[in-house]
Amino acid sequence: MSEITLTIDGKECKGNAGDTILQVAQKHDIYIPTLCYLEGLSPMGSCRMCVVEVEGSNKLLTSCTTPAQDGMVVFSKTEKLFNYRKQILELLFAGRNHFCMFCSQSGDCELQRLAIEHGMDSVRYPYLYHDFDNDATSEHLQMDHNRCILCGRCIRVCAEKVGAHTLDLEQRGWNAKVISDLGEMLGNSETCVSCGACAQVCPTGTITLREFVYRGRRNDCDEVVESICPLCSMGCEIKGYVRTGSLARVEGSNLEGPDGGQLCHKGRWWLPESTERERVSVPMIREGSTFREASWEEALELAAGKLKAANSKGRAGAIVSGMSTDEELTMLNSVFKSSMNMEYMDCFSGNVLRGFKKGFKPFTEQGIRPFTAAHNILESDLVLTLEADPQEEAPVSASYVRVNTVRNGGKLANISTGGTPFKGITDVDLNIGSEDVLDLLTKLVEAVKTGKSETLENADAERLAIMLKDAEKPVIVLGGQLADDARKVTQAVNLAIVSGGTFDDGIATVPMVRSGNSLAALNTVVSDEPWVNEVDLDCLFVSSTGLVPETPESLEAMSMSRFCIIQTPYMVNPLVNMADVLLPAPAWYERSGHFCTLEGERRKINVLVPPKTELKGLSEIFGTITEKMGLPMNSSDVRPCENIYTSKVSPDKARTAVLEEV
Amino acid sequence: MSKPKVATVWLEACAGCHMSFLDIDERIVDLLDKVELTSTPITDFKEIPKVDVGVISGALGNDEEVEIAEKMREQCKILIGWGDCAVFGGINSMRNFMKPEDVLREAYTDTVSTVNPEGVIPGENIPHLLEKAVPVDYKVKVDVYIPGCPPDADTILYVFEEILQGRIPKVPSDMMRYD
Repeated sequence: MSEITLTIDGKECKGNAGDTILQVAQKHDIYIPTLCYLEGLSPMGSCRMCVVEVEGSNKLLTSCTTPAQDGMVVFSKTEKLFNYRKQILELLFAGRNHFCMFCSQSGDCELQRLAIEHGMDSVRYPYLYHDFDNDATSEHLQMDHNRCILCGRCIRVCAEKVGAHTLDLEQRGWNAKVISDLGEMLGNSETCVSCGACAQVCPTGTITLREFVYRGRRNDCDEVVESICPLCSMGCEIKGYVRTGSLARVEGSNLEGPDGGQLCHKGRWWLPESTERERVSVPMIREGSTFREASWEEALELAAGKLKAANSKGRAGAIVSGMSTDEELTMLNSVFKSSMNMEYMDCFSGNVLRGFKKGFKPFTEQGIRPFTAAHNILESDLVLTLEADPQEEAPVSASYVRVNTVRNGGKLANISTGGTPFKGITDVDLNIGSEDVLDLLTKLVEAVKTGKSETLENADAERLAIMLKDAEKPVIVLGGQLADDARKVTQAVNLAIVSGGTFDDGIATVPMVRSGNSLAALNTVVSDEPWVNEVDLDCLFVSSTGLVPETPESLEAMSMSRFCIIQTPYMVNPLVNMADVLLPAPAWYERSGHFCTLEGERRKINVLVPPKTELKGLSEIFGTITEKMGLPMNSSDVRPCENIYTSKVSPDKARTAVLEEV
Repeated sequence: MSKPKVATVWLEACAGCHMSFLDIDERIVDLLDKVELTSTPITDFKEIPKVDVGVISGALGNDEEVEIAEKMREQCKILIGWGDCAVFGGINSMRNFMKPEDVLREAYTDTVSTVNPEGVIPGENIPHLLEKAVPVDYKVKVDVYIPGCPPDADTILYVFEEILQGRIPKVPSDMMRYD
């Protein structure tokens, strides 16, 4: 990349060929006001706020779209520009309803900030008072077109990052309006995935999130803390806005990253909602049909006694959340496995994780990571979804699939026993009903390997085999359902290998493991054989984050167990009803630690708000319990997940595995 | 030399701007050493005399308000618009997205809390609504704009002090607010 030098406001600035004037200016801390521009989205140049003067040109140029050239002399702060910008702002204010005193975004609004910055103390143009609709049909989003300045950020983020293409513009001039689908109300849109990315990027009060409107503006917040969303293994990076000791809003923070700072419907709505639920604030002990409050000492004494007695008979078990941190999982592994020698430990989504663990084993044994960072989907020329529903299982990965298919021109294929996750954009859709997925995978592996497709009865399957063979960078998305048989997982990885699907970090599959830290759970607390709901236990320890409902099997296991110690942050039934000892737990925003994410990074979850009551984390609880049980606190022999899932051998050396060994 | 005279009126607006003026607290004593308050909602003198500085808070929503604004403009040398309503139209502009008849019907008969079985809409002996509630400068020239809902007391005082120094000020960005 060749370096260029230009002068901006008298300062010599270096940039790379291909940079825009704005990019070079920003690199050198030269402020140019912008409104429609947003880092990570393609520049549009529609608002004209970023206009600059360039020597030799009699036109004003938008710095966000004009490529910087070697030797260019740019002025960004002349009086002429200041007046033009002010005029643009006045026209925007006159165009629609930009009266701040009845707008929920006043104080957070970029239009307002720029107008004040430009000393706009009145509007010299007549107001249009054109009445647009206020679309309040969506459950979570509100779209008041009267506040819109047509910057197109929402349209671009929806298309370029979420891949939903829900929003676009209709009409022209001052009648122009952002619409969803082909003029549907937002609430009736078939393409909207309710991720709220449009509201996150909206510079004015046009698209707002009901949930956050009355919780406080960004500007009112005392603190902004970086953390991650624990809800699925994508581990999206978030900013938590904290106001007077409570979480006012969450936003995606990774603007330059592949996800463009988006969150999904879960992260956007479930996270803030979770801060309003009733908490378990003190330890409680069951007394008949109700609970009585107890001290930590008493509750842990009772818990330790029961665990010890049950464990001595081999009748103790534990179910923990896949949203626990690496640190907690390693500690639990050490307590349950090393110190207590407990046979029955598992995760809420243990069956899925076990399937993946076993199915991946032949490849981890080769020293190769059997999956790749989820954002590599964006690099793929063929994505195959295999019994997967990414929009439900790990929604931001679904954005990658959509963007890759609709914008990057990648192909999309699907194999499932029911339903098509990406209707309308799937090139080959093998909806094989009750047919045998393993059988089909085996035939596909064979067909791709040998180049002969006679064994494939179905024309679509044949087409898929050819597509896989021809693809340069195929990626296979492995749904949770696939993991009900570990051999299917292995065969899917085999299919990726024979199709040449490898990236630098691993084989080109993306497993849809749900809970945030599934990859670490798989390595620490997931037992080799299923037992939940199948064995008779005297004492069961359950640690839940309360963010997603517990699985029916785990609830059944709790009701079958004679004594249940349950640690959970929230007063949620039926979980709490199952408890004999109920221990308060820190909520996700009161914890810190690390998560192993599908994006291939170990990311840190941080305390956003400190707990308001005396809460003990898992390690403190088990420190006390093991002491009371008279057990040594052995150090864990598990290796951190980033060690396990790092390819020590180059992934393109991966060999296919024989199914019989799985 | 006698003290400069100031008159203020409160048109289509809430009391906020005048409350904010009173929020200059004890500094009002110093200010009154330098200026003479004549007709204001605070002093309750109805007739606007000839003054040096006239202040209008509120938008113009009916013909009486237009008349008062014109009178104020006639009587003063420097006219200040106080607050978002006077400057931009403010909260009154909410009604500009409806026709005046609809506004009246909504207010006098349709609102849930209204008991008006005969559906009487007052109209004859009261000022007529304008088609739209508009900023003051739609009808008369304004010399100094102080946006804000309400403007900060400090901003209001700043403008008076600047005028006393013989300058026609513009509110600087760091004092400006729209809400």
